[in-house]
Amino acid sequence: MFLIDCPYCKESRDQNEFSPAGEAFIARPQNPEALSDEEWADYVFYRTNHKGDHWEQWVHTAGCRKYFLVKRSTISHEIIQVSTFGEIDSENAS
Amino acid sequence: MRIANHKSSLIDYSKPLSFIFNNKSYKGYQGDSLASALIANNVLYFARSFKYGRKRGLMGAGVEEPNALVSLEIGGRYTPNMKATEVMLYDGLSAVSSSNPNSFDFRAMIKPVHRFMPAGFYYKTFIKQKVWSLVEDSLRSLSGFSKAPSEVDEDVYDHVFQHTEILIVGGGVAGITAALEVLNHSKSARVILVDERENLGGELINEFSTDESSFAWHKDNVKKLLKFKNEENSRLKILTSATAYAWYDHNYIEVLQTNATGQSTLSEGVQSARKALHKIRAGEVILATGAHERPMLFETNDLANIMLSQSVRRYLEEFGVISGKKVILYGNNDSIYSTAIDLNNNSINCKVIDARAPGGESEIVLKAKDSGIDVLQGYAVKKAKGTSSITGIEISKVELQSKPPHWQSKWRLNKDTQTLECDLLATSGGFNPVVHLDCHCGGKTYFDEYSQSFLPQKERKNRKVCGAVNSVGFWKDAIVDAKNKAQQTLESMGEVKKASIQPLSKECLNYYKVDRFFTPIEILNKPKVFIDMQNDVTTLDVALAIREGYQSIEHIKRYTAMGFGTDQGKTGNINGIAVAAEFLDVPMSEVGTTTFRPAYTGVDFGAMAGREVGDFFDPQRYTTIHDSHVESGAEFEVVGQWYRPWFYPKHGEDMHQAVNRECRAVRKSLGMMDASTLGKIDVQGKDAREFLSRVYTNAWMKLAPGSCRYGLMCNEKGMIIDDGVSTCINDNHFIMTTTTGGAASVYSTLEMWLQTEWSDLDVHLNSVTDQFSTVAVVGPNARKLMEILCQDVDFNKDSFKFMQWRPGTVCGVNARIMRISFSGELAYEINVEANYGRFIWDQVAIAGRPWNITPYGTESMHVLRAEKGFIIVGQDTDGSMTPMDVNMNWILAKDKPFSYIGRRSFSISALNTNDRLQLVGLLTKDDQVVMPEGAHIISNKGVSIGYVTSSYYSPALGRSIALAQLKGGLSKMTETVLVKIVQEKQGLKEIPCEVSSSVFYDINGEKVDGNE
Repeated sequence: MFLIDCPYCKESRDQNEFSPAGEAFIARPQNPEALSDEEWADYVFYRTNHKGDHWEQWVHTAGCRKYFLVKRSTISHEIIQVSTFGEIDSENAS
Repeated sequence: MRIANHKSSLIDYSKPLSFIFNNKSYKGYQGDSLASALIANNVLYFARSFKYGRKRGLMGAGVEEPNALVSLEIGGRYTPNMKATEVMLYDGLSAVSSSNPNSFDFRAMIKPVHRFMPAGFYYKTFIKQKVWSLVEDSLRSLSGFSKAPSEVDEDVYDHVFQHTEILIVGGGVAGITAALEVLNHSKSARVILVDERENLGGELINEFSTDESSFAWHKDNVKKLLKFKNEENSRLKILTSATAYAWYDHNYIEVLQTNATGQSTLSEGVQSARKALHKIRAGEVILATGAHERPMLFETNDLANIMLSQSVRRYLEEFGVISGKKVILYGNNDSIYSTAIDLNNNSINCKVIDARAPGGESEIVLKAKDSGIDVLQGYAVKKAKGTSSITGIEISKVELQSKPPHWQSKWRLNKDTQTLECDLLATSGGFNPVVHLDCHCGGKTYFDEYSQSFLPQKERKNRKVCGAVNSVGFWKDAIVDAKNKAQQTLESMGEVKKASIQPLSKECLNYYKVDRFFTPIEILNKPKVFIDMQNDVTTLDVALAIREGYQSIEHIKRYTAMGFGTDQGKTGNINGIAVAAEFLDVPMSEVGTTTFRPAYTGVDFGAMAGREVGDFFDPQRYTTIHDSHVESGAEFEVVGQWYRPWFYPKHGEDMHQAVNRECRAVRKSLGMMDASTLGKIDVQGKDAREFLSRVYTNAWMKLAPGSCRYGLMCNEKGMIIDDGVSTCINDNHFIMTTTTGGAASVYSTLEMWLQTEWSDLDVHLNSVTDQFSTVAVVGPNARKLMEILCQDVDFNKDSFKFMQWRPGTVCGVNARIMRISFSGELAYEINVEANYGRFIWDQVAIAGRPWNITPYGTESMHVLRAEKGFIIVGQDTDGSMTPMDVNMNWILAKDKPFSYIGRRSFSISALNTNDRLQLVGLLTKDDQVVMPEGAHIISNKGVSIGYVTSSYYSPALGRSIALAQLKGGLSKMTETVLVKIVQEKQGLKEIPCEVSSSVFYDINGEKVDGNE
């Protein structure tokens, strides 16, 4: 059971209030029709399943309903950083 | 028996209690556990073992007990598989053995064949030979655990949410010290101290009579704790009779606390809980969980009255009871001598057999010898004698081999044996730190040669270990260790600048001088050397597992069932690892431990559920019209927490009759239904139109204000996830409806697109499901009724067309009237502010009397829509259906500039094959047979080629109709297929059906304008 800091509510809340929403920084392709089946499948289905620090999306379902970014270690489940979408993107995420 | 004139500090001899065990009445005292009270009454056998049905007595005195499983109480208060050692006595308690040791037992009768039933016996004999299904019931009934409860639990259970800066698990010397150290050196930190026993003090209580300073220390420090506890705005909570059984991520720890009275108590009309589950979120955790003693291994070491040495001592010190008159203590460390001295002080005849060779004796060994206790050093117990309980032992001298050959341990036992008589054998093979909790959430262990134990890893974030779990066994050393760890915790919290640390000697890490695991191969190779008492696992089972190729301890565990059950290997597992190490001829550290997982001890389902049972199991959502449905005698169906009227039976009608009547009324004259539960999402902003056209498959740019449109929503995989009608209020404002059950997930998904991908769109969403009540007026006479109810709207079919909406005043209430239909009939949906729902419903019902207006429920709604072939997302589709699969290509816009959600996936090859499941109609050849939903369509080879998704009797057509997913169904029109169903009393039957269009009724849509 994680304890998650909502970057909007500025409060530490139990995981019960949140829902996970997948790996972060998976941008929807600008022109899906121009992609091959493989490229499209890569966007729809394939994820890195990364071992270590992992950026992912969470939503404060039973709170502010905002989606935000969480950097979490998939080994220890430690949450290293939370962020709104404005602050961090795939370019400046580390 | 109870020891005369014993001064136990924990038993209240002025309060006798009576209780029943295995249908016999006994007496005990306040402060007794069920186990100690039964020892006092000379009860020897507590249960039979799981597999072989061997009579078993007590081995431990607390949570470590593997044998004495009992079920408590009966009926609605029945609780299975409790440890007799953990059940505190209360007046009127009744318990029975999980497997009665006093009655006839088939397993025990076949004792001569037990040797042919090693680990893997049941699998090899029954499952591998494919006869398991024939014998499963009878074999399961033989197993040695309690029966499952059959009645609803009468008691209540609570959940308590707790937050604390520091949680201390274990209320022995180390825990008490750590708590006081924190409270004394911090002004603000809150502390929760948890202990599984009823009284604080842990194993220290065992020292009271031999070491007066321990008694004084305990009295003094518990008093200090209570002072903190009783302060105003106290920072200290003490939970006793409370077991911390699980540690989850981010320092979330669950603790199960038992009401000391053992039952729910009723006071002032409020029922207090039988058990409370504390959900604790802690900043820092200090583990002072102590250690469990491990037994010595020898032949038939499972006979009754072979116990752990410290347990014998605890029964003696804490409860003033003992189960033998002639005691032998056997072990490989000094702790047996403290028990011996205790027994000797109580004038109980005892003798010590030490497996260690003479030389280098500690003070306590000399003290025991001085006080006249007979001590044999360098001897091993080879075998316990006796049929069901111990009557004596066979011992031999141990010789050390300087260089043991491969596959042989370093000990050799002398051939000469002597026999000693005894009626109680207490053993100690060293101590296993209770690392379970620490390992639940990622903590690792390492094998420490010096202390001969698996210790918790040294450093972990926000956690310290102290006392016996850190292998600091002697209580005075534990005090120093606990102070150090409390100081370090305070330092990491910033409460003190620099932790003050007192040094500990290396010797204190093995204070009792535990010798290495005593596993002579001559003993391990004997039958009936039990490692895991609860699961009847012997040393030979481990040897067999290894012979069959299982090398990893995790595999050996699963092959033999060692460490399973409520015991979770508390006493046996580490010995099992030592035995495996011996057979594998590798060091202990290489074998390692199995994985410790929650829960540490059994947790009642009732406690997990808490108060969320019965009416509180799930939230119940009612529309504002609900009371009217109840008054009309409706039967309800739960749809995504909503209570929807299912059908309205009249004059003793069954469902079939009621639904036929309701459907006929709608098709012939007029029906009404409460459609308030449909999900409604308010979509506003100048890009609302663009947004809808991105998330729906069809076109929205030209939908004029005043009109409505049906939309189908897919995910990026191209699969249907929802559908519904959206209404254009104006260019910047739409109201989207979703399926009743899908409202929350659709809303969340839409928010995700807006927030994570399309933050440039000016669109705002709001869930307005609860803000509106919707009354649907349905049937050919709907227009006539609406004209009476609402004067400011022109209902002429040419000016108010199908799929349009008008604002109007219905019976004086502002309303939005949508002309949409889910039945194919002329229909209007009156949307009003939610609080007017009941009023409008009643007005419609009254005004509709001339046309015999009939309320109908979800079942009739389903029949009516199925007749028209309208799908229900989630019933006719299952998350793997594309719009093409349900024959709705017409709803896929071809020329939208934005590639809407799911569109790209429609062209991938896998979604364009001919053998996909496709939605078709099925008409049974015998038109009165209604097939069950879910029935499979089978090929002539007997393989499933699809299944029935919806199936009803259609009153309008006078026959059954069904919708089905059929492989390549759209190209199989008019073909005959077989559906396999189970008919009552007739068994399996194949029903021939004709594949048809999914539209059965009013194929050309002529009914939608209703009667003139």
